[in-house]
Amino acid sequence: MRNVRLAPIYIALILLAAISVVPFIWMLATSFKHGHDVYTKVPSLLPLDRKTGEWAPTLENYEYVFDLRGLGTAFLNSVWVCLILIPAKLLIDALAAYAFARIPFPGRDKLFVLMLGGMMVPTITLLVPRVFVTQELGLFDSQWGLIVPNIASVLDIFLLRQFFMSLPGELEEAARIDGAGRIQIFWRIIVPLSKPVLSVVTITSFIFHWNDLVWPLVVLNDPEKYTLPLALQQLATAEAGRSYYIMAGAAVAVIPVIAVLLVFQRRILQGIAFSGLKS
Amino acid sequence: MANPVQADRPAATPDRPGRRPRPGFGRRDSIVGWLLIAPALVYFVAFLLYPAVAALYYSFTDWNLRSSPSWVGLANYTDLLFDDVKYPHFWKSVQVSLMYTVVAVPLTLVAALGQALLVNAIRKGSNLFRLLLFLPVVTAEAAVGAIWRWLYDPQYGLINVILGWFGVPPQNWLNNPDLVIPALAFIAAWQCGISMIIYLAGLKGIPLSLREAAIIDGAGPVQRFRKIIMPMLRPTTFYLLVTGVIAALQVFGLVYVIFSAANKSVTGGPEQAGLTYVLHLYLFAFRYDAMGAACAMSFILLVFIMIITALQFKFVKQEAA
Repeated sequence: MRNVRLAPIYIALILLAAISVVPFIWMLATSFKHGHDVYTKVPSLLPLDRKTGEWAPTLENYEYVFDLRGLGTAFLNSVWVCLILIPAKLLIDALAAYAFARIPFPGRDKLFVLMLGGMMVPTITLLVPRVFVTQELGLFDSQWGLIVPNIASVLDIFLLRQFFMSLPGELEEAARIDGAGRIQIFWRIIVPLSKPVLSVVTITSFIFHWNDLVWPLVVLNDPEKYTLPLALQQLATAEAGRSYYIMAGAAVAVIPVIAVLLVFQRRILQGIAFSGLKS
Repeated sequence: MANPVQADRPAATPDRPGRRPRPGFGRRDSIVGWLLIAPALVYFVAFLLYPAVAALYYSFTDWNLRSSPSWVGLANYTDLLFDDVKYPHFWKSVQVSLMYTVVAVPLTLVAALGQALLVNAIRKGSNLFRLLLFLPVVTAEAAVGAIWRWLYDPQYGLINVILGWFGVPPQNWLNNPDLVIPALAFIAAWQCGISMIIYLAGLKGIPLSLREAAIIDGAGPVQRFRKIIMPMLRPTTFYLLVTGVIAALQVFGLVYVIFSAANKSVTGGPEQAGLTYVLHLYLFAFRYDAMGAACAMSFILLVFIMIITALQFKFVKQEAA
């Protein structure tokens, strides 16, 4: 009885999930097709030969975009930027959040409110002068220009502070009586207790910066320094009409993030519900 | 909404007689506190506070990368708003962004709520469906744009093929001015996963007793939805509406990708039908080298967003009933 009632729900969900997923399957299928198998009257979600209908996948599109269209370099650039940026950002945000949550000093709360207020300004308003600041710092058209202007995040500081404030204070008091300093308390007590929220912030930062198009677009000129989204954008305009190359490029950009999502799905989805409801 | 300012100050531990008084703890706290905040503070001043102030200043200047800014007062603002020779597409871009917001935000909310209700109704496989519906969210704009350009391809794209099964003639989605906004809004709804997750959390927050009471009173599913679920979800809907409108008014990356052409010109699609406000702003700043005007545009947007948000706070019901 219950199963009969649930059947339409499952059917609806399968349809919606298909809408969600088929574009990715279509992307992968196209990326593995030979150029001459792509443009067919009846599109195929599998890499099949257009004449014989046989299984005929190829890796040549990937080889082409990696070697000749700079996706390989861009991939390494993206990895490099994320490897430096994410840990540095996490450390800066967590230390600031810890101070905002736990260390009383004059002016602290006013400063925090000011920073929260700054978060309300749309990023697009700040775009032009940010580029100008980046230029003045001599970071224009370099990967440090992607890292330094993104080295902290007020939203992450806010989320981390809220979490730190929810931790019980007794452990810290005990450690303080034993003579531990603030920094020791941070590393030995706060960090181990905050692993869930720290990992949420890390993962969402990674997804955001790995995918970010706008900031690299306005800061980088040299194609050798492009990150993946920018290189993909370049590929998509230069090879417009050769969708098999573009889809191979898109797959290179998409697959690492989907892998991260699959591994950390529970953390990410909980984190979104948490941060969404908090703000 | 929790007041973020209510910090829990650790209660001062009184120095009991017989124990060594801790020397200068308060002062040391101040130093350590400022030191820990210092890097974030430097970032905040250099990349948030200063740019905000600078943008406001530049918006009153004539400025490009070759010359230093020269003060022109309100000229950028008045020219943008009233001089349709100098800025012929300003009002067009306002219209495009408003249209996009009006179509995309409700569509996204409905899709998200529908998905959340369905996922919430099942046990087996709910994690899997949640995950699959979330996939489009983590996808880079550049990839989303590339994939959908290919899906919308008038000749070989999957969309036209699928519509063809239902007898719909093939459409030139991204080259027909009338279809550009619906096509973009559909992509936005495709990426509604974050709203779906937040709605799910909201649904989980509805007390089971309420639903059970309604069932005992003989309310059918439609009535339960209208009388209990919708009112209880009102704070969630309000939050998603406000943030969704703010985001939709700033849509840029995706339209940039979709309407970039091989000759590197970005015009905003057929008859500027996809020239959103922020795409227009970007073109002024980084293609036409008119930084002052771009800054003025960004402040017009900021004020507009503030007004729209204030209106929503005033006129949209936000408390759970």
